[in-house]
Amino acid sequence: MLKIEKVSKTFISNARTTDTLEDITLNVNRGEFVALVGPSGCGKSTLLNIIAGLDGATHGRVIKEGKVISGAGPDRLVMMQEAALFPWLNVVDNVEYGMKIAGVPKPVRREKAFQFLKMVHLTRFSTSYPHELSGGMRQRVALARALAVDSDILLMDEPFAALDSQTRNILHAELQQIWWATKKTIIFVTHNVEEAVLLADRVWVMSANPGRIKKEFKINLERPRNTENLKLVHMVSQIMHELREEVEKVVESEFDSDWSPRSKKLVPTAI
Amino acid sequence: MPNWKPAIPGLLKKIAFYLLLIIIWEMVFRLKLWPAFSFPSPLGVMENLVSGAKDLSYFIAVGVSVKRVLLGYFISLAFGFTLGLIITQVRFLDETLSPLLLGLQTLPSICWLPLSILWFGIGEDSIIFVVAIGSTFSIAMSVVSGIKNVPPIFIRVAKTMGAKGSKAYTTVIIPAALPSIVSGMKQGWSFAWRALMAGELLSPKDGLGYALTIGRDLADMNQVVGVMIIIIMIGLLIDKFVFGRLEKSIRYRWGLTQS
Repeated sequence: MLKIEKVSKTFISNARTTDTLEDITLNVNRGEFVALVGPSGCGKSTLLNIIAGLDGATHGRVIKEGKVISGAGPDRLVMMQEAALFPWLNVVDNVEYGMKIAGVPKPVRREKAFQFLKMVHLTRFSTSYPHELSGGMRQRVALARALAVDSDILLMDEPFAALDSQTRNILHAELQQIWWATKKTIIFVTHNVEEAVLLADRVWVMSANPGRIKKEFKINLERPRNTENLKLVHMVSQIMHELREEVEKVVESEFDSDWSPRSKKLVPTAI
Repeated sequence: MPNWKPAIPGLLKKIAFYLLLIIIWEMVFRLKLWPAFSFPSPLGVMENLVSGAKDLSYFIAVGVSVKRVLLGYFISLAFGFTLGLIITQVRFLDETLSPLLLGLQTLPSICWLPLSILWFGIGEDSIIFVVAIGSTFSIAMSVVSGIKNVPPIFIRVAKTMGAKGSKAYTTVIIPAALPSIVSGMKQGWSFAWRALMAGELLSPKDGLGYALTIGRDLADMNQVVGVMIIIIMIGLLIDKFVFGRLEKSIRYRWGLTQS
């Protein structure tokens, strides 16, 4: 359904030229849940933005169902790390927003909005304003808003990264259920390997500087998955092993040159 | 005695306070520290207000002044808003016009009166021009800064939801810029009101400023202070009931109230 062909992205600024992505080629099938994991700065968010149409590739192209992507649109919706709910609208108006733009008549979209709020268990707060909600609640509203648009592809950019782990666990369970019920095509970006294995059918590990696809892992575990399953734990450790090298590279480039992840000393001796 | 004091609700407290002020004012008047024609008494002012209300002259004056300021203000809203939108669309204009607008905004509106009289002659039009010009730049600048400061993530959300061009403006950008725009509207209003008074004083024909001038010419301080009180009341009414309510409702929605 979605073909990413030899996509490359180079950022040119006054200081330097950064090859963020190099020659990314991927295929995503309809109804699949795929995940991209990689160290910070490897370009996974950039790739997601290119698929969403918010950014353009320097080389290569993204093809969706035979057509080349040229801009943003409700067929490839992005759910971001920040909920980014509109503060001047209450919860139900926020969820309705995508449908309002699409021209869905008011009674229909109100009913649908409540359906999606029910899916994320937030119907009690339908008339509250975003500032009255906690971070986890806001992300759930953002999820309802994203689902209400009924896009072909749902892109999620580390949506649960800013949440506490209990809320995250609950949302993982909810997302698994929602995906099972709606069978949407989801592309999920995260740096949390456990999250990726928990949710996805396939996981791609990315390397950094420049960003490339290092390896693909097929996750053949039964659903619903839970984190205590031994097979899952084994899968996670396999992927972590693959990822470790890349993380070390990024860490070395960001830390002082006299420290490396493999060195035994944690604290500088000369103070 | 000490028992019923805590039971007095806030409104009565305020009324008691102002009554006390008026009593002190009357007593200072009775002390005859200043000659009667330069320091009026509250009773004299009250008499003047009542007689002005009875023969409808004050109502007419208020009507004339308020009509002028509303006309000038709405003109400034239209021009200011349009100017602000144009500047945000055309980058070249943003770079060149914005500093000029900032400078023009610091020019007190009344300084435009000589030019205005030259263009429109002494009368209604020149005053309305002065009222409008001061407020226009305030509103334009607040529109520009409001729109520029919309967090880019909102625009990204709008784009991915399929809102493009003017739809993105009406459903996302303008609502997001609203707090800044409303504060610009409030500032513009206060410039407009002050410009009106200055204009009516310097170019008197009718209205509240004219009533002030008459009071001064006839050495009738009761009238002068009476008109001042009317001006204060109108200003307070609009600030509290129009802008106060508007700002409160925005702050409530956006969660900017202190808690």
